[in-house]
Amino acid sequence: MIHLQNIEKVYRTDTIETRALNHISLDVAKGEFLSIMGPSGCGKSTLLNIMGLLDEPSGGELKIDEQKTDHLSDKELARFRNKKIGFIFQSYHLINDLKVLDNVELPLLYRSSTARERKGLAATALEKVGLSNRMKHFPTQLSGGQKQRVAIARAIVGRPEIILADEPTGNLDSAMGNEIMEILIGLNRNEGTTIVMVTHDEQMARRTHRLVRLFDGAQVG
Amino acid sequence: MFAHLFTLIWNKKKQNLLLISEILVSFLVIFGVFSLITYDYLNYKKPMGFDYERVWVVNYSNPLETKSNDSVTLYYENLRQTLKAMPQVKEVSFTSGNFPFSNSTNATGLRHNGVVYSRINNFTVDDQYKEAINLKLLEGRWFNKLDAAAKDRPILINESLKEAVFGKEAAVGKYMNDWEEKNKLKIIGVVQDVKMKGDYTTIGNAVFNRIDSGAFHWLGNMLIKVTGDADAAFESRLYKVLAGSMKNANIEIGHLSNLRVSKNKAFLVPLIVISIVAGFLIINVALGLFGVLWYNINKRRGEIGLRRAIGASGKSVSLQLVTETMILSTLSLIIGAFFAIQFPILRVGDIDASVYLTALLLSILFIYLLVLVCSLYPGRQAAAIQPAVALHEE
Repeated sequence: MIHLQNIEKVYRTDTIETRALNHISLDVAKGEFLSIMGPSGCGKSTLLNIMGLLDEPSGGELKIDEQKTDHLSDKELARFRNKKIGFIFQSYHLINDLKVLDNVELPLLYRSSTARERKGLAATALEKVGLSNRMKHFPTQLSGGQKQRVAIARAIVGRPEIILADEPTGNLDSAMGNEIMEILIGLNRNEGTTIVMVTHDEQMARRTHRLVRLFDGAQVG
Repeated sequence: MFAHLFTLIWNKKKQNLLLISEILVSFLVIFGVFSLITYDYLNYKKPMGFDYERVWVVNYSNPLETKSNDSVTLYYENLRQTLKAMPQVKEVSFTSGNFPFSNSTNATGLRHNGVVYSRINNFTVDDQYKEAINLKLLEGRWFNKLDAAAKDRPILINESLKEAVFGKEAAVGKYMNDWEEKNKLKIIGVVQDVKMKGDYTTIGNAVFNRIDSGAFHWLGNMLIKVTGDADAAFESRLYKVLAGSMKNANIEIGHLSNLRVSKNKAFLVPLIVISIVAGFLIINVALGLFGVLWYNINKRRGEIGLRRAIGASGKSVSLQLVTETMILSTLSLIIGAFFAIQFPILRVGDIDASVYLTALLLSILFIYLLVLVCSLYPGRQAAAIQPAVALHEE
């Protein structure tokens, strides 16, 4: 599903060159639940951003669903992300000025669909994460766990084949974290969604199919 | 997407209030300036209604001490003949002080069928006035000697007054009453509107009265239509003739064309000052708008990063921000237009509704253009935000 070959990421300034990723080669199979672990600053989020087409690698090859992505225009990349990938972030990234339902339907705004279709799909997604009763609330009226569930609903509303989760339980207590993890496992198991999750939590990582460890930008396990 | 943006704006109405107010104030200022400019431009496009080229004005003090009307009238008629005997003089007319481009105004009121028409410019002129400045007669005739013996005092009115009193009906032969309702005034003719206060202003309603025998006691101006070869040497000769005829009188000769230039300058200077002040205000507003939009974009980097992640291209992010600003402008313009539309409805300043409506349309276009220009660059900046960086910052 996701194929990374010799991926490099180098940040350059006038005086310093920082190597964030060093020849990472990785294959994520369709329907796999992969977790990435490593200390802070080891390049986990950078790797996830490259997989999510939010950032460009400095070198190497990236293929998603057998398709090379390095030649895609900004518009094509945006369309690709919208159709294929759902994102979940540690800090939720909900728009506080929009109600929960409006937040969830956001990805559908960048597709051709009617308002009725969007509302219907967003309501279904919220139902899946158990938040049907919070549709008319604003994010500021929700707990951290509820916010992350809204973020998951937003990630799945467009039925993407891949979900990239950057420390989805990082801001939550263990009970909430477990709830979120259960939802992700359910999505992977029931819907066959491929999930790549960056985490610091060994316990959470062990519940996934495979664990990849990074250290100083290199794959160590 | 439009409904989504409207929801977003509505939910952030408190934050957007300042921007809406700023655009609203700018709109109202621009509407005021455009109303002035439109009004002046439409006046400028109107015909002058008379000729000012090669018309000289002589300002004099009456040197006669006699109280006899006949003697005074005879004296000035002789002076007219003396001047007309000069080959360069085509016509000589005696007039009240409110001759074209003068600073003098004489207003009166008239009545018709119980309706009072006030602030009517009142010109006291002689039989030669029409020829001297080539007034355009639309209906009827100009004054002649027979009018001195007319039963009812004859008057001419201008087309604006005719329109106001009689509408599309003919006015010649009809009567109006003077302010005190003592005299019946018979309308013998209608003249085209005249722009006697300069190119950029109309004088509104006007009535022309024929000078009576006693008027020469107080009249102090004559208009002299001269030929093309009347030069400075002739002006000097004219002065000598006048000084020779009018012993001990103060005599001053001027040219209507010069008076017109001065009048126009005096009118344009405040307009230019107002436009410059409004221009600075607009620059201020533009910079403010630019700053607010830029600030908003920096505050919304996380949201922009998120939108990019979930499927928005750089172009659509830019378009979104520009559209949001245009929607905010539309809200301001709806409020502004509500206030602006009161001007034509209430006929403020007795100005034609078309002036305000044109100004309203121009102001709306100007504000949209201003907002578009001010939002384009911040929009492009937003499009350039790297989603990975913006999401990480959050």
